[in-house]
Amino acid sequence: MALTATRRGERLLAWGLLLPCLAAVCAFAFWPIVYSFVLSLHRIVLGLPGLGEPFIGLGNYARLLADPTARSSAAVTLVFVAVSTLLEVALGTLMALALDKSFRGRGLVRAAVLVPWAIPTVVASQMWRFILNDRYGLLNWLLFGDQVASYRAWLAEPGWALAAIISADVWKTSAFAALIVLAGLQTIPREINEAAALDGAGPWQRFRHLTLPLVLPALAVALVFRTMDAFRVFDLVFVMTQGGPANATNVLQFYGYKKMFAEGFMGYGSAVSVMVFVMVLAVSLLYLRLVGRRLLRGEER
Amino acid sequence: MARWIIIAALGLALVIALGAAGCGQKADEPNTIRLVAWKFNNPGLWRRLADQFERQHPPLRVALEIGPHSSTSFHDLLTQKLKNRSAEVDVFLMDVIWPPEFASAGWALPLDQLFDAGQRKRFVPAALEAASWRGRVYGAPLYLTAGVLYYRRDLLERYRLPVPQTWPQLVSQAKLIVAQDKSGLAGYSGQFKQYEGLVCDMLEFIWSAQGRALGPQGERCVLDRPAALKAVRFVRDALIGTAAPRGVLAYQEPESLSLFAQGGAVFMRNWFYAWPILSDSKRSQVAGKVGLAPLPRFSGGESASCLGGWQVGLSAYSKKPAQALKLIKFLTSETVQRRLALEEGLAPTRAALYQDPWVLKAHPHFAKLAPVLAGARPRPRTPLYPAVSEVMQVYFHRAISDSDSDLPELAGRAVQDIDRLLGLARGQ
Repeated sequence: MALTATRRGERLLAWGLLLPCLAAVCAFAFWPIVYSFVLSLHRIVLGLPGLGEPFIGLGNYARLLADPTARSSAAVTLVFVAVSTLLEVALGTLMALALDKSFRGRGLVRAAVLVPWAIPTVVASQMWRFILNDRYGLLNWLLFGDQVASYRAWLAEPGWALAAIISADVWKTSAFAALIVLAGLQTIPREINEAAALDGAGPWQRFRHLTLPLVLPALAVALVFRTMDAFRVFDLVFVMTQGGPANATNVLQFYGYKKMFAEGFMGYGSAVSVMVFVMVLAVSLLYLRLVGRRLLRGEER
Repeated sequence: MARWIIIAALGLALVIALGAAGCGQKADEPNTIRLVAWKFNNPGLWRRLADQFERQHPPLRVALEIGPHSSTSFHDLLTQKLKNRSAEVDVFLMDVIWPPEFASAGWALPLDQLFDAGQRKRFVPAALEAASWRGRVYGAPLYLTAGVLYYRRDLLERYRLPVPQTWPQLVSQAKLIVAQDKSGLAGYSGQFKQYEGLVCDMLEFIWSAQGRALGPQGERCVLDRPAALKAVRFVRDALIGTAAPRGVLAYQEPESLSLFAQGGAVFMRNWFYAWPILSDSKRSQVAGKVGLAPLPRFSGGESASCLGGWQVGLSAYSKKPAQALKLIKFLTSETVQRRLALEEGLAPTRAALYQDPWVLKAHPHFAKLAPVLAGARPRPRTPLYPAVSEVMQVYFHRAISDSDSDLPELAGRAVQDIDRLLGLARGQ
């Protein structure tokens, strides 16, 4: 009898401890997603309250699929995600390998590498905007010096503007990928590498057959984080290009934001957000399956 | 022990919940008017005006909330508050393009009390037209601005050229001076980034070629008519990448102004605010060498400026509209208008001040602004203006940034999109 009372007490305690956290998750994570979805099933135009807020089922989604701007935004987003994520993870791995070696002043270098990541994105974007300015920007001066005639307007050319956004993101977040991969590298016991070196394996062989397989789970984690984050790119575009030139950098998140907050199409904008959510969810499920299986296989061995 | 932990956890949750609720309801003081203002170039302005109001109207106080500088960002912030029926906004600043939207959405109250027939006559007509929707005034005009041409007087004099009257004349003068000068000058500077400013610049070209964005009743879009196409084609072929550097495709007002102020361009289109900056030798390398004129036109057309400026609106969710009206009346009174003109160089909305000896003594160039304002035109007036503008921004930017763009095809698509929006607005 006394035992059950204690157990009941413990259960109560567990719920008591979980409750604030659960409430917060429901209020700040779950509810907004549900609410966005509900909004996306209605036609809501802020400037025209006379239209009411009729339920139109999947009408917004049907229009979204036929909307050429949304389609080009989706393409821009996918290019951004694919290129920036790959570059970031590749660069991050190289950085992590360098930082894993012991050398004098390593602590300082490790801290320095994180500086871009620590700068608020809005500030970094503004800085890049100055660097890329056609008349006074640093980049033109570095490339062309005094030959003002060859100066390029980087943010005014569709292809270059997208490249600029991608570079800014790579510059800023490679360090984050490096951090995760570095953590993975440090769990690899040194003896394995030393033994392989004694057996006559060269640096490339050791990397290819020892380090890479062992660091793969960390790499996968970095990949997942970066991909999901890249889908949500917004501030770089907001500050650097506002979606221009000629919509060349109009990523989905920015398109949805403009629809909702600038133009007042709450239902349609919500549909765009839900689409982004579905895309991110699909990609992360895919990753989790791949990574999860790999991790399991690793455990079996 | 366990009991205490539970109590502590619940207590914490309660504190968080109360804190969250508290954010939504600040103690409401009946004498405090909340003014949500856009961030003016001179940040101390709103506080100084509020202090003057408080001295004249005790015991009323003004609580200021200052939003972002960009009009678009300020729109996002303000509409967010109004959408949530926030009682924390009594009086707000409105960009000149917002009244139809704010009136139609029910966010702004009509200001009939302040604008009887006698009062209406005292304001610049274009300012009141922009502030009205369906015959009622929703915004008390605070100050005005419009697009004008800034030119390098010293360069025109050196090459014995008159102030250009038409756009082709401006282009040929710019090319001549740039070729002779050989110092890497740009011919023309303006605002051609994909944003609201692009719409203003492009509409000025279109209007001065006798084109229009919407038909006379605002019922359908006519950007695909020959006059409008001619103007857009001129910008694409004769300006971008020739008289103006390609970089203008990424310029907003500050970039275009800094190019001109550093002596890097012969001509610039900008708003009134550029004049005091260009005349100040601390901020401009061309102080004393700059002239100001109405924008050029195409042959057969008339010079046309896009009207800009700000108005003061009254929130429909204000719990103290009577006090709020006092603040609006104060802000658009002749005294404050004169003060804004004298101290800040802002173009007043009261017509009489353009003949005011004090104002003209302090700012002789106001004499030149009055005729520009007489020919200034508001942008298309519809509650869905932000969406219509978005379509125009994308269309104009596509059209002028690619020299091979298929103009009739792009214009046709823009017209289709805008007509659909206008139809939606009519269906209300």
